[in-house]
Amino acid sequence: MRFESPQTTKDAVALLAGAKGKGRVLAGGTDLLVQMKSGMAAPDVIVDIKRIPAMKSIKAEKDGMRVGAAVASAEMAEHAALAKGWPGVVEAADLIGSTQIQGRATLAGNLCNGSPAADSVPAMAAIGAKARVVGPKKRRDVLVEKIVTGPGKISLAKDELIESILLPKRPPRSGDAYLRFIPRTEMDIAVAGAAVSLTLDTKGVCTDARVIIGAVGPRIIDVKDGAKALIGTKVDKAALKAMEAACSAAATPIDDKRGTKEFRKHVVGVLARRAGQIALKRAKGSK
Amino acid sequence: MSARQIGRRLPRKEDRRLLTGAGRFVDDLRFEGELHVAFLRSPHAHARIDTLDTAQAAAMPGVAGIFTIADLTTDGVLDIPPFFLPKEVEGREIFAPAQPVLARDHVRQIGEAVAMVVAECASLARDATERIVVTYTPLPATVETATADAPGSAIVWPEAPDNLCYIHEIGDAAATAAAFAKAAHIVERRIVNNRLIIHSIEPRAVIALPPDSDGRQTIHTNGQTPHRVRDKSVELLGLPAGSLRCVIGDVGGAFGMKNMIYPETLSVLWAARRLGRPVRWPGSNGEGFVTDSQARDHVSDAALALDTEGRILGFRTVNRANLGAYATNMGTLSPVAGIPASCGPYRIPAAHVQVRAVLTNTVRTDVFRGAGRPEAINLIERLIEAAAEEMGIDRVELRRRNMIGPADLPHETPTGLVYDSGDFPATLDRAREIADLDGFGARRAESEARGCLRGLGLVPYVEANGGPGMTEPTDLITTPDGGVTVLSGMMSNGQGHETAFAQIVADRFGLDPDEVEIVQGDTDRVKHGMGTAGSRSLVLDGTAMHLAMETLVELARPIAGHLLEAAPADLAFEDGGFVIAGTDRRIAMREVFRAAHDPARLPPGDAPGLEAHAEFTPGKHAHPNGCHIAEVEVDPDTGRVRVLRYSCVQDIGLVINPMIVEGQIHGGLAHGLGQALLEDTRYDAEGQLLSGSLMDYCLPRADDMPDISIILEGTPCPSNPLGVKGVGESAAMPSPPAITAALLDALAPLGVHDIDMPATPQAVWRTIRNAAPAPQP
Repeated sequence: MRFESPQTTKDAVALLAGAKGKGRVLAGGTDLLVQMKSGMAAPDVIVDIKRIPAMKSIKAEKDGMRVGAAVASAEMAEHAALAKGWPGVVEAADLIGSTQIQGRATLAGNLCNGSPAADSVPAMAAIGAKARVVGPKKRRDVLVEKIVTGPGKISLAKDELIESILLPKRPPRSGDAYLRFIPRTEMDIAVAGAAVSLTLDTKGVCTDARVIIGAVGPRIIDVKDGAKALIGTKVDKAALKAMEAACSAAATPIDDKRGTKEFRKHVVGVLARRAGQIALKRAKGSK
Repeated sequence: MSARQIGRRLPRKEDRRLLTGAGRFVDDLRFEGELHVAFLRSPHAHARIDTLDTAQAAAMPGVAGIFTIADLTTDGVLDIPPFFLPKEVEGREIFAPAQPVLARDHVRQIGEAVAMVVAECASLARDATERIVVTYTPLPATVETATADAPGSAIVWPEAPDNLCYIHEIGDAAATAAAFAKAAHIVERRIVNNRLIIHSIEPRAVIALPPDSDGRQTIHTNGQTPHRVRDKSVELLGLPAGSLRCVIGDVGGAFGMKNMIYPETLSVLWAARRLGRPVRWPGSNGEGFVTDSQARDHVSDAALALDTEGRILGFRTVNRANLGAYATNMGTLSPVAGIPASCGPYRIPAAHVQVRAVLTNTVRTDVFRGAGRPEAINLIERLIEAAAEEMGIDRVELRRRNMIGPADLPHETPTGLVYDSGDFPATLDRAREIADLDGFGARRAESEARGCLRGLGLVPYVEANGGPGMTEPTDLITTPDGGVTVLSGMMSNGQGHETAFAQIVADRFGLDPDEVEIVQGDTDRVKHGMGTAGSRSLVLDGTAMHLAMETLVELARPIAGHLLEAAPADLAFEDGGFVIAGTDRRIAMREVFRAAHDPARLPPGDAPGLEAHAEFTPGKHAHPNGCHIAEVEVDPDTGRVRVLRYSCVQDIGLVINPMIVEGQIHGGLAHGLGQALLEDTRYDAEGQLLSGSLMDYCLPRADDMPDISIILEGTPCPSNPLGVKGVGESAAMPSPPAITAALLDALAPLGVHDIDMPATPQAVWRTIRNAAPAPQP
C-alpha cells in the first residue's frame, strides 16, 4: 500500500489516475480508516488531501461560500459567516459522530462515503450545494445529489476527486434546517433525516422551497410534492402538515433492525415538518 | 479524639492510578515468549458439526497448536457444570446440560467456540481460524422464551424434548388459589423482563502461565471471584490441589458477568500447560456480545388478587426463564434466587411462583446486577400499577394501603423473607417530598405546552442480600510502622473496596485510611473468599473486619497495658486507643501496633507481630430498601422518552462513604434505565444475534441519564453488628418499573395501558398508534 500526501489538487488527481489497483482519497479518515481496520477496504494507494491548501480553506466567493474538501465539520461550526448563512448545513455536519470525529470528518467525505444515512447530504442538497469535481483534464461543478448513485456508490471516475463544495449564496428571507432521528440522543446513525430550505417574499409567502429526506431510501429523496405544499403559502400549519404527508408518502425505507418501514415513513414526515418550522423561523429572522 | 472515617466522602484511593492510566488490567501484562489465542466460533445457533479439519491451519508457520474438544477430553478436562441446582417439582428430573470447553459434535448457540488456535501473534492466530474447515448441518433453532417449552418448538437437547431444564415452585399453591377464589378483583398481565447484553469497559481476558519448576501455574484474569476461578479450574482441569494461583488486578467492570468460569478460562490454562509457554487471550467487545453471559429474559404470566378495598390477597406467577443453551455456573440460580423479593414492602398473605427454566439456542444467561430481584420487583410493581388503574384507586394510596409498617416488623413474607428493619411508609413520604410531587402538575403543563406528555412513576422496594449459607473470612495483620493490612477475599470491580474497607478499619483504630492496605485478588496471599457479588461485600467482609477488629483490640490490650504500666483490665478502648480508666493516660493503637513488632517494647516472652482472623456467617439476610420516583417526558410524534427527573430515598443502613454509595446508585440507575428504555436484545428465528454490536445495541450513555436526587437515610441493619445493608445492585431494581410506570402515566391520556420494556421510540410510537383513545370526560 502506498500513502501519498500531495501538495496540490493536480498532483492528487495524477496519483489517483496513475494508481495501480484501487486508489482512495483520505480526508478525515473517519469512514476509510474504519473500513480498512475491519477489512472492508484495502486500497493500493491512499491520497491524503489534507496538505492541499485549497482543500483546507473556507472562502467567500461571488456566488457563495466555498468549503474545501478537507475542512473538518468542527471548523465549519466555528466559522461565523458559514453558521449564519447556512445553519442547516452546519448543524447537519455538526451531528456527524462525536466531538472527536467532528474534528476530522468533512462534508466531501460524508458525501463520497455514499451512505444513505449521511447527515450532511440532505442539508447540502436542500440548499443546492455544488461539488467541484476535478479530473486530469477538466473540472466540473456538480449538484451534490448527482454525486451519490446508490448505497456506497458515487458518480466520480477513478481519477476524479472533489476539491471543494460551494454553498450557494442565499436569497433574502431564506432559511434552512436539518433534523434527524436516532435511537439515542447523540452519536448514532440516522434512522430518518429531513432537510428543508425555503425562501419567503416580503409578505411572508413562500416563493421557493426544497425538501430532502435521507435514510429512508437507497439515496436521498427530493420530495417535490413537499416543496409544492409550501410554495405559495405562508408556511402555516396546514401547509406544514401537507408537506409532512408528502414526505411520509415519498419515503421508501426498508425494514431493518434500526427501524420498521412504517415507523420510518412516519418519523421522516414529523422531522420534515419540524425542520420546516425551524427553517421558517430562520427565514423570518434573516430579513 | 481521632477523626471519624466512617461516613466521610473520602475520594477513592484507587482513582489516582485509574485516572492516570496506571491501572493494572490483564491486557497491560506482557510475558516473555507468550503465545496468542484466537477461537473459531460457530456462525450457527444450532447445528451438527459434520467435519472439522484443522490440518491446513496447523501447517501455517507460526501456529503453535490447534485444539478441539478431543484434545481436551483426552487430557480429562471436564465440561463446566451448574454450580447450583434448584429443587425440582415432584415427578420430574432436572436436565441441566454442562457446557463443553470447546464444542462437542453440536453447536447450540451463536459464537460457541469450535476450535482454539494458539500462535506466535494475535493476527496470525485469527488468520489461522479462517483456514480451519468445518462443515455444519444447520438445525432448527428455538429462541423465544415464551414458547420454548410449547409443543412444536425445535428441540435444543434431545434429553429434554420439552426444552425444560427444571420447574421449581415457591410458596403455597393451595393458599394462593384460595385467595384468588375469594378475590373481588383479579389483575393479570404478561410481563417481560427483557434480555440484556452485559457490557464492561474491560472485556474478559485471560493470560495463563505455564507450570513453574514446582509445577504450579498462575492465571491472570479479570473477574469477581479469584478463589472460585482457582478452585473450579483445579477441579475441572483435574489439577492437584495447591497447583494454581489466580491473580486479578484492577477490573474494568463486571456486574455479575465476570462471576463465572468461562470456557476460555479453562482452555487457555490448559493450552499453557500443553505448550509450556505463556498463553494470552484478551477478549474483544465483539466477542463478548456472543460469549459473555447475558441477563434477565423472563416472560411472566402474573396475577394479583385484591379485595374490594384494594387490599392484596394473593400473588401468583408462572415465570418462563430463558437459560440459553447451557445450564452452567449460576445460570440456574438467577431465575429462582430473586423470587422472594416479589412481595415488595407489602402485606401479601399468599403467594405462589412457578419457574419454568427453558433451554434455547441463545447465549447463556446468568446473574447480573440484582440476579432475579429486579425481575421479581418489576412483576409486583407492574401488577400494582395495573390494579390501581383498573380499580380506580390512586396508585400511591393503593401501595400505602398494603404497605408493611414499622410496627409490623419483623414481617415474614410468604416467599420466605423476614423483614427486620426499615420504615417503608416514612421512606415513601420522604421520596414524595424530595421529588416535589406538588410541582408535578405545573411541570406536566409545561411539557404539554411543548406538545409533549409527562408522567410520574413511584416504586418502593425491599431486597435481600448476604443471607444464610454464606461465610466470609478476613485477616487483619498489623505492620511494624503502625498500620494494618487487610486480607480480603472480596474482589473490587468498581466498588471502591480499597477506600471503603480502609475507612472501616481506620475509623476504629484511629488510623489514616492510607495506613490501611486492602489486599485482594491474589489467591496466594488471600487463601479463601467468596468474591464480590450480590451487593454483599460490605455486609459479609465489612462485618468480618468488624469482628476481627474486636479480636485485635483484645490481643492488643496486654501490650497496651505493658506500655502504660497498667493492668489490661483497667484499660478502656476508645477513640482509636487505650486509656487507663479514670485518667488521661492513653496510647494510640498506632503506637500499640508498632510496639507489637518491637521485642524491646513487648511484654517479656511475647512473640512479635499481631494479627486477627474472623469469619462472618449471617444468620439472616440484610434488607436494603427505598423508594424511587421517575419523571419522564414523551414526544408522542416520535415516541422518544426522556427521563427528566429522578429521585430516590435509600435505606442502606450504616453508610461508610456516601460518595461511593451515590456512584453505585448512578450506575444501578443507568442499568435500569437501559433496560427500561434502550437495551433491545434481538435474535432472529435462526438464533442469529441481530443486536450484536454497540451500533445496534443501545447501551445508555451519560447524556441519557438525568440528574439524580439521592437521600440516604434509614435504620442500621440488625442482622450484622456493623449495621450495613449493601447497595451495589439497589438502583437497578426499582428503576425499570419506576420508569415504566412514569411512561404509562404519561401515555394514559392516549388510552395506553401497557407496554413492554424496552420502550424504544419505535415501540412507544407503535403502542400509541395501536391504542384506543381514552373516552373524553
